[in-house]
Amino acid sequence: MRIIMKEDFEKFVSSLINDNSLNVIGVKSKGNKFAFGQLNSASELRLDYDVTLLPPKKYFFPQRETLVTYDVANGFFAKDPAHLKPTVIIGVHPYDIVALLHMDEIFRETKSDPYYFEKRKSSIIIGVNIQNMSKWCFAPQMGCATIDYGYDLMLTDLGNRYAINVGSQKGEALLDKYAKNVTDAFARDIQLVGQKKQEIINSSQQKFNFPTELIPELLSKTYEQSGFWEKHAETCLACGSCVLVCPTCYCFDVKEDPHLSLDSGERIRTWDGCLLEDFAKIASGENFRPTRPTRYRHRYFKKGRYLFDRFGFVSCVGCGRCSSNCLPDIANPVNLFNDMYAEVVSMGVEIDTPAQPDVSIKTEGDINYVPKLATIVKKTQMTKNETLFEIKLDDGSSLNHVPGQFVQVSVFGVGEAPISVSSSPTQKGTFQMCVRKIGSVTTGLHMLNVGDKIGIRGPFGHGFDTEFLKGKDLLFVAGGLGIAPLRSMFNYVLDKRADYGKVTLLYGCKEPREQLFGDEMVALEKREDVEFKPSVDWCPENELWTGNIGVITTLIPQVSFDPETTYAIVVGPPIMYKFVIADLKKRNVPDDHIIVSLERRMKCGVGKCGHCQINQIYVCKDGPVFNYAKIKGVPEAL
Amino acid sequence: MKPKVAFFDFAGCEGDELQIANLEEQLLDLLGQVDVVTFREVMKEKSDDYDIAFVEGSCTRLQDEERLKEIRKNAKYVVAIGSCAAIGGINSLKNYQDLDDVRRTVYGDKAKLFDTYAARPIDAVIPVDAYVYGCPMTREEFLHVVKSLLLGKKPDIPNYPVCVECKKNENVCAFERGQFCVGPVTRAGCNSCCVNEGTICWGCRGLVDNPNENSEKEVLIKNGLTVDDAINKFKLYFGWQERKR
Repeated sequence: MRIIMKEDFEKFVSSLINDNSLNVIGVKSKGNKFAFGQLNSASELRLDYDVTLLPPKKYFFPQRETLVTYDVANGFFAKDPAHLKPTVIIGVHPYDIVALLHMDEIFRETKSDPYYFEKRKSSIIIGVNIQNMSKWCFAPQMGCATIDYGYDLMLTDLGNRYAINVGSQKGEALLDKYAKNVTDAFARDIQLVGQKKQEIINSSQQKFNFPTELIPELLSKTYEQSGFWEKHAETCLACGSCVLVCPTCYCFDVKEDPHLSLDSGERIRTWDGCLLEDFAKIASGENFRPTRPTRYRHRYFKKGRYLFDRFGFVSCVGCGRCSSNCLPDIANPVNLFNDMYAEVVSMGVEIDTPAQPDVSIKTEGDINYVPKLATIVKKTQMTKNETLFEIKLDDGSSLNHVPGQFVQVSVFGVGEAPISVSSSPTQKGTFQMCVRKIGSVTTGLHMLNVGDKIGIRGPFGHGFDTEFLKGKDLLFVAGGLGIAPLRSMFNYVLDKRADYGKVTLLYGCKEPREQLFGDEMVALEKREDVEFKPSVDWCPENELWTGNIGVITTLIPQVSFDPETTYAIVVGPPIMYKFVIADLKKRNVPDDHIIVSLERRMKCGVGKCGHCQINQIYVCKDGPVFNYAKIKGVPEAL
Repeated sequence: MKPKVAFFDFAGCEGDELQIANLEEQLLDLLGQVDVVTFREVMKEKSDDYDIAFVEGSCTRLQDEERLKEIRKNAKYVVAIGSCAAIGGINSLKNYQDLDDVRRTVYGDKAKLFDTYAARPIDAVIPVDAYVYGCPMTREEFLHVVKSLLLGKKPDIPNYPVCVECKKNENVCAFERGQFCVGPVTRAGCNSCCVNEGTICWGCRGLVDNPNENSEKEVLIKNGLTVDDAINKFKLYFGWQERKR
């Protein structure tokens, strides 16, 4: 530990500011509040602040950030490598340091986010122990009021001097270069710092009525108590303030920002929040979390249960920003969890300390936000609103997808949308997507012609397990556009027909004119090695239809299969799953013999942006293909 | 061929059209993408041959409906610009008063010569394809909507409240400053411009799709506003939307 007198500390800050190669950020006053901002002079620094309006994450994960630039003539490009000045951030409270450590884990899991880490790596964090605790702060109860790592330097105010804990070589070098009259601390000051830290821990005005280690279990006990959530969220404005000010919230939206010339522009990401109404809404208008209580519940579960299961920490650091920013005063986690504890106690349910999850976070390279350029080589209109596109990647590579995976498709100027691959990987050189005109990107895609360029990222997600299913009997059940992802597996099986057992396809759509892949269906009817049963919900009088009439479930009693050896692969609109699965179970198909593919809003494709999350699962990364046994207990799934 | 665009005004202050005239250097870029065939505020020529019609102002007389329908017939796309056209705007304040009184206040002894009815947004009369909210609308959002239409996509207009932008802009909440704000129920997209300048959100962009109005009124009252004043806060811009809900 070192000691620096306050006048020397001020000179240290001044010399940092005077070095133009550094970007020096510090806590300044803003109205009667505080905010991190560019320091113009050392006297602006307010290390006695209680809490800042926004956490310092804005320097690593800004409110608005360019991910990709594009121009129609040349394609998509990574953002110009920012010539980042090293950023020194002075005055970060310990809870905000813990929050950054949480963000680090989240942004490096599976795929690492290059834009976040380029800024994180070039920064120097000078922390300060809390001098005035905000009345909303409960960082001590979350174990985040003091910290011994995660900073380059950590200051403690000792009256006329600061004690400095050096946390890294970067911190050491910074002191060497810019600070004068730094001395080693005597035992008395070391003891004093320990005392100060204890005082901080004891100074919170917020009180939990139970040990906070119980939070993940407490949540699990109340998920189904819809009355509890409705009562607490009744006055929720769905304004998103609680999540936007949160130091550990990381959900983002991705938007296109075309220039007025229309032939070039930028793709940007902005902060998003799971409390906002359209967060889980997809192009077809379906909203997977449409009510305020379900979104309110999701926020607490995400922080307190889902991230705990994935990373081993409750992702709340107790800064109290959500509490202080909520106008109807319903966001304070302390109040909510105390009420929840009382609720669970009144239910007479035992609460055990949750077992620490087995966490091993792996990073497999960087996220690539830059689409590859690709060309539409064939366009076949299949119905009024659905078209089959055949795509070739311009670099000559194969997509190398697994059946059931999806790609992120970019249309210049319009944006990016997830679309499942409809062709089997046995088809080399090109791949196909069957696309319904429904949102902006799919409508834009329909306006393009053969020879036009698009962007492709991926393939993404977890597809069908083609190896495991070898030798099994397969019952394919497709509803409407569900045939599109399902066909990638079905055609794969047909191409490797000898590897699989009995193959049956049940395919239902609304009316004959909506049937997709009509030619292939005709060919199927002639095949001996496939049982094919099509159905339509209804048939207009003037149209010819020789197949079944009725919803898809009316086909299930018409086929015979051995539930022991059969795996059902079910893909269709959200409403279909419940009914098909119920009927399969009536026929004794075990849960783990049912495989489904789910559709959700997706922006990043790599489990970061948060939109596709269903309870603890990310559809983009853990799915879209799921074994029903794995998700039947996931309430938001089906 | 460049799309032909036309501008029309009804009951309003023409402040939104002024925003277009004020686009400065971007105006030239815009004119590279479209041909303006009718724009009374800035040019003499006019034409009935246009693809996109931008309509400012609310509909306040039966006679205006005919003109609106004519515009709808001529245009492929109709865009409501500004609060009056998009949500009824402050013109809807008169809907809370006796319309004969309103006419007498405005026209005095000539009141009989002037017809009027409840002010309404133009989508109460004709179908509208896109909206540029705001009083006045912002140039940025106008350009966003124009670009979206030219690219054939749905404009990306937020369905979340102004609080989102206030938080991103790190504003001290108007309530914290002792002011009374309707930002928590008002559609964002203005980059919280009024609160950024130290004042409040007046609600000029109208309500979000599903506002929690009761909670917002409770918040206003809890912070010291009288019940009447809280209700008045909702009348200023939300009049037509409130009546419809």
